Amino acid sequence: MIKILKQIWAVTKVSARSNLAYPGEVLGRTVFMAVILYIFLKLWQATYSQSGATRLGDMTLAQMLWYLTITESIYMSAPRLTRQVDEDVRTGTLAVRLIKPMSYPLYCISFCLGERSVRFVFNLLIGAVITFCLVGAVPVSPFSLAMLAVACLFGFILDAFGQLIVGLGAFWLEDTSGLFLIYTRLVMIFGGMLIPLELFPHWLKEIVVFTPFPYLVYGPVHLFLHPSLTEFVVLLKSQLICILALGLVAAFVYGQAKARICAHGG
Amino acid sequence: MNAVETVELKKSFSLKTGLFSRAKASTIVAVEGITLTVPEGQAVAFVGPNGAGKSTTIKMLTGILKPTSGKARVLGFDPWRERQKLVKEIGAVFGQRSQLWLHLPPKDTFDLLAQIYDLGKHDYKVRRDLLVERFELGDFIDTPVRKLSLGQRMRCEIAASLLHRPRLLLLDEPTIGIDVVARQRLRELICQWNKEEGLTVFLTSHDTGDIASVASRMVLINHGRIVLDDTVASVSQTVIQEGLEGDLEQVIAHLFAQPAASSAGLRG
Repeated sequence: MIKILKQIWAVTKVSARSNLAYPGEVLGRTVFMAVILYIFLKLWQATYSQSGATRLGDMTLAQMLWYLTITESIYMSAPRLTRQVDEDVRTGTLAVRLIKPMSYPLYCISFCLGERSVRFVFNLLIGAVITFCLVGAVPVSPFSLAMLAVACLFGFILDAFGQLIVGLGAFWLEDTSGLFLIYTRLVMIFGGMLIPLELFPHWLKEIVVFTPFPYLVYGPVHLFLHPSLTEFVVLLKSQLICILALGLVAAFVYGQAKARICAHGG
Repeated sequence: MNAVETVELKKSFSLKTGLFSRAKASTIVAVEGITLTVPEGQAVAFVGPNGAGKSTTIKMLTGILKPTSGKARVLGFDPWRERQKLVKEIGAVFGQRSQLWLHLPPKDTFDLLAQIYDLGKHDYKVRRDLLVERFELGDFIDTPVRKLSLGQRMRCEIAASLLHRPRLLLLDEPTIGIDVVARQRLRELICQWNKEEGLTVFLTSHDTGDIASVASRMVLINHGRIVLDDTVASVSQTVIQEGLEGDLEQVIAHLFAQPAASSAGLRG
């Protein structure tokens, strides 16, 4: 077990360093996110001002804008793991991965975590500066920051499993870009990136909490804005259950996929 | 002990084309009954034209592909049932696929591999320093891989695959696209490692220079079958006796043109 954790940590570290190799590219991506974020922030400002409401979904304008900043940072930090798996399968690079004494799914998850952690930190820093300039700060404590970090980590792992399952579809479909598009839109909408779950119709919210999507994005950010140890434990339980469930699905799909490997040619 | 033993190893792929009522299924036979024994410490060249089944055989020997039928033991392991144990004992370089992290220096990939193979810190450092010295990587070990020449990159690839002290090194077209000087240096290094460390080398290549320089034995396959299995020296000798003029490349081309007759005449 320790050996596996060491392998995961080693790949995560190298992946993070590899992602920092091009600071210009990282900055370019962050600037793109900043533009999108600025537009959404202005939209929410207009919504509050037009409706005359001081709270929407139990959130003040400042809380809503910070919610949007962090959810956007999480969503935009997602690497395209599906494309990586897709390419490994189609080009036969999978062969290089399989001759190493490390599980391929774990390699993919670790790779994804390293890349994502770098992107997330950059996104959050830039997003926080913009939002702070527009609406000031929201109450932050080391406790809420620690909870956000842990919940985000588990959210990232959960998302990596989701992307891995979609990517493994390449063994049957060759190209999984269509599935990836559907998956990301589900994360965007049901993960509460655009609109917090409090603003969903009641019936929809009741359904969505039984899917993994709110635990990727909404859960960690809601906890940051409304810190509570009880809520934190509930969220972690939900995340772990979803990780276990998606982990089992990924293991099953990978087991089926292995039998279909046809890494021939070159 | 034998490094590789195969008995009637076969691999076929099913290929489906068309949809619904127009769907057609066909079977492609990539490897058709390969029986082969490679003693430990031997350097074998596995030669054949494109689509002959070389890479498919290597992927079966590494446990990546499960054979349709037949038996194989690699270093005493059943490759597809004991793949996790086997991969710790073998090194593999696929000339057209890289294990190095493109945006990072080779040293970072080496460090990562040390963790993946669970090498002790001291052991790893000693081994890495030895490989850096022998493969002459010192000048560019800290340069991002994307800035290296193909020859430098391939030296790093092979050094990386030797970090965990494998007993068998599988090389799938390692000199592809490399210039003459770098190619010759690479051959010398593989040879040196084979002779000094007793490393078994299983090489596939289209380059007859690789075969002549690195291998002592040559196995020719065509259409998934072995058409010749003999020592490189013996093949050259027989060629002279049969009055076939030219170098090894022409000889191989001649054998592929007349596989049945040649294999009967040259099989060792």
